[in-house]
Amino acid sequence: MGTAEIGQGAIILAFLAALVSAVVAGIGARTGSRRFISITRISVISIAVLYSLALATAVFAFLTRDYSLKIVSEHVDSSLPAAYALSALYADKGGSVLLWGWLISLFSALIASRKHEYDNSILPCMLCVLAAIQLFFLAMVTFVVNVFEKNPAPVAEGVGLNPLLQNVAMLIHPPMLYLSFAAVSVVFAIVIAALITHTPGAQCVRWVRRWALFGWCTLGLGNLIGMWWSYNELGWGGYWAWDPVENAGLMPWLLITAFVHSISVQRQRNHLQRWSLVLAILTFEFTLLIPFITHGGIESPLHGFYGSHFPPYILAVILVTLAGSLGLLYMRRKDFQKDERSFTLISREGASEVTNIILVLLTAVILFGTVLPRVVELFGGTQIAIDRSFFDRVAGPIMLLLVFFMGVCPLLGWAKTSWQSVRSNFVFSLLATLLVVVIILIVGGGKWYLISAAVCSFPVFTILLEWFRRAKARHQDRKENYLRASLAMLNSNRPRYGGFLVHIGIILITLGIIASSFYSAENMVSLDVGQSMKVGEYDLAYDELILKGSQTKVSAVATVSMSRQGRHIGNLYPENNYWFSYMDTFAEVAVRTTPAEDVFVSLVWTSFDQQNKSVTIRAMINPLVVWIWVGGGLLLIGGVVAFSHQERRDSQYKDR
Amino acid sequence: MRKRYFVGGGILAVAVGLLVYASLGSAVSYYLTVSELLDRGSELYGERVRVAGKVVDNSIEWDADTLKLDFVITEGGEDLLVVYEGARPSGLKEDSNVLVEGEYRSDNTFQASTIILKCPSKYEPQE
Repeated sequence: MGTAEIGQGAIILAFLAALVSAVVAGIGARTGSRRFISITRISVISIAVLYSLALATAVFAFLTRDYSLKIVSEHVDSSLPAAYALSALYADKGGSVLLWGWLISLFSALIASRKHEYDNSILPCMLCVLAAIQLFFLAMVTFVVNVFEKNPAPVAEGVGLNPLLQNVAMLIHPPMLYLSFAAVSVVFAIVIAALITHTPGAQCVRWVRRWALFGWCTLGLGNLIGMWWSYNELGWGGYWAWDPVENAGLMPWLLITAFVHSISVQRQRNHLQRWSLVLAILTFEFTLLIPFITHGGIESPLHGFYGSHFPPYILAVILVTLAGSLGLLYMRRKDFQKDERSFTLISREGASEVTNIILVLLTAVILFGTVLPRVVELFGGTQIAIDRSFFDRVAGPIMLLLVFFMGVCPLLGWAKTSWQSVRSNFVFSLLATLLVVVIILIVGGGKWYLISAAVCSFPVFTILLEWFRRAKARHQDRKENYLRASLAMLNSNRPRYGGFLVHIGIILITLGIIASSFYSAENMVSLDVGQSMKVGEYDLAYDELILKGSQTKVSAVATVSMSRQGRHIGNLYPENNYWFSYMDTFAEVAVRTTPAEDVFVSLVWTSFDQQNKSVTIRAMINPLVVWIWVGGGLLLIGGVVAFSHQERRDSQYKDR
Repeated sequence: MRKRYFVGGGILAVAVGLLVYASLGSAVSYYLTVSELLDRGSELYGERVRVAGKVVDNSIEWDADTLKLDFVITEGGEDLLVVYEGARPSGLKEDSNVLVEGEYRSDNTFQASTIILKCPSKYEPQE
């Protein structure tokens, strides 16, 4: 028996186990029988075991370069390092679905094995929904994209992995996304099960919160890692192109961001509103939409789903589950009547609701811009394309508005806020912001720096001020020093201060985006050895070119010495590689990063001829880009802090 | 309570709608093949369009010193001269499918601002 048979067999058994789980869980949910619930737990765990076996078989085939499998021969060759051979699995569309489904099966098994976490009233129903989702994924890897398909004739050597995917970021980016999609499936399952079983919202929030935070954090980081890769690998000097695949990753993130905010309000007010449930359902549907949206996008050959053969029935599945979920929500509308509590618009709830609406509108606009060309093509016949300027112009102002609200929120209290209580904080933050604006005016930054400083420093000040005020109170009450007081405070309300850290991260990202969008400098010239070029305030001298050959490629490595105002500050070594298996060249950029700006150098053309050493160099100065990645780090830290808070059973969390 | 939401949400939605409306016009470009472009001819002068075609054999001329690149793309038996300033994209080869974005000019040449390569079949084997 070969790997293909073992893998395929495991998948088929997992499919059967999922079928059994769904049925048994369904009976368990209807009858509440403890025996059926125990059987469900075992069968759900067995899906994960079988799925793991299938995945392990695939991984083994990749590592041992088993070219009898089509998926292996199409994505790796013998010279590929082992780590990339592993990542080649998810360079394939079938491998992607396999990984994604496997993570769902792991999370389901985790839930099934936690005896006391979830009540028996909801558990079988949750597991039933999760088993149904797994059936869908298992059916896809079996019938739509057969992962374990064999090559009809023996293959001596594989095609190899696209050189652009041979990057550290690509080891992490896809698994991060699939982790988040799997977590979103769990959120969806909890929400649907809660609706079916009339489970009170307060309990639900407790179960859903950590899964949602986990999904939110991994999706955000996954997207950021994708941006980092785009910036460091693709050589165009940017990190976001509003490409359909990027939008497909951003939209569910915006929705889950709205969801996380919505439940954080409800955690305090102890209920779960319909609005949150709609967000959870939509987030789930958007994650399923990804293979569909990216289907056939010509600009993007780098994602596993490119040009894939996912048939339109995925769209049908999405529409049916969406209609079913929303229909269920409508049927259960009476469960929510008692939940409504009043609050004024000028309160933390009010601001949170507004933020929610803005996030959803932003998602709607991005969806509109992403699918409009397809819709026009489908109904009107003409093909159109939407330029990225559309997204920039629409998303830019909305993003600034969101950042502004991050500043407003910490000022406000629950339910209702009097002007008296916020006045001093508000005035102080506003004055501090004005000071920053004046400094920039004096120093002489551009108008976008002014706008971004005005919008971004306000929330930073309100957040820091709030933090300082609390720390000071502790300092006076308990005689703790400020650092200790800050840490103790962070520990005492991790969700809130984790959120503050995340907000500062988002503001840093916004700053980086604004600065690098409006103030980057670019120059591209062809140079001979000894010549130099100017970009921004920098002089770049092209010193030499070294050609190196290896088994897989010829590398041309240029030495570019950088100087600023006559002072030498270092060398950069951009490369251009000719890959034999692709008969094509791929550049490796060189970047010098400082807190103020990146010097980005890409070798866009070389002759690969020992006699002709002239090259074409594209150089850019990208201000503040590093803060995007630093902001991403804060996103992670804040996410971990918020996640580490474990809600106690039946506890009424109180915040002032 | 609820009414206020609808009003507030409505105002935001209208604002975003206006933003979309204002931004969309200039961002939409037509997506044509070479023969479709030439059929419509002069009416498209100065318009922003995307044109898809196949690079004609021996038509690529690239001057590394001035960073000028021209090549001819063909589709449906008709040819179009594409003029571009910038680096020669790696992967631009005879017979490869390309998508050029830019402006169709009155001298019947195409001034490309972006060249997008439809990837060679080797990346994703055709089935």
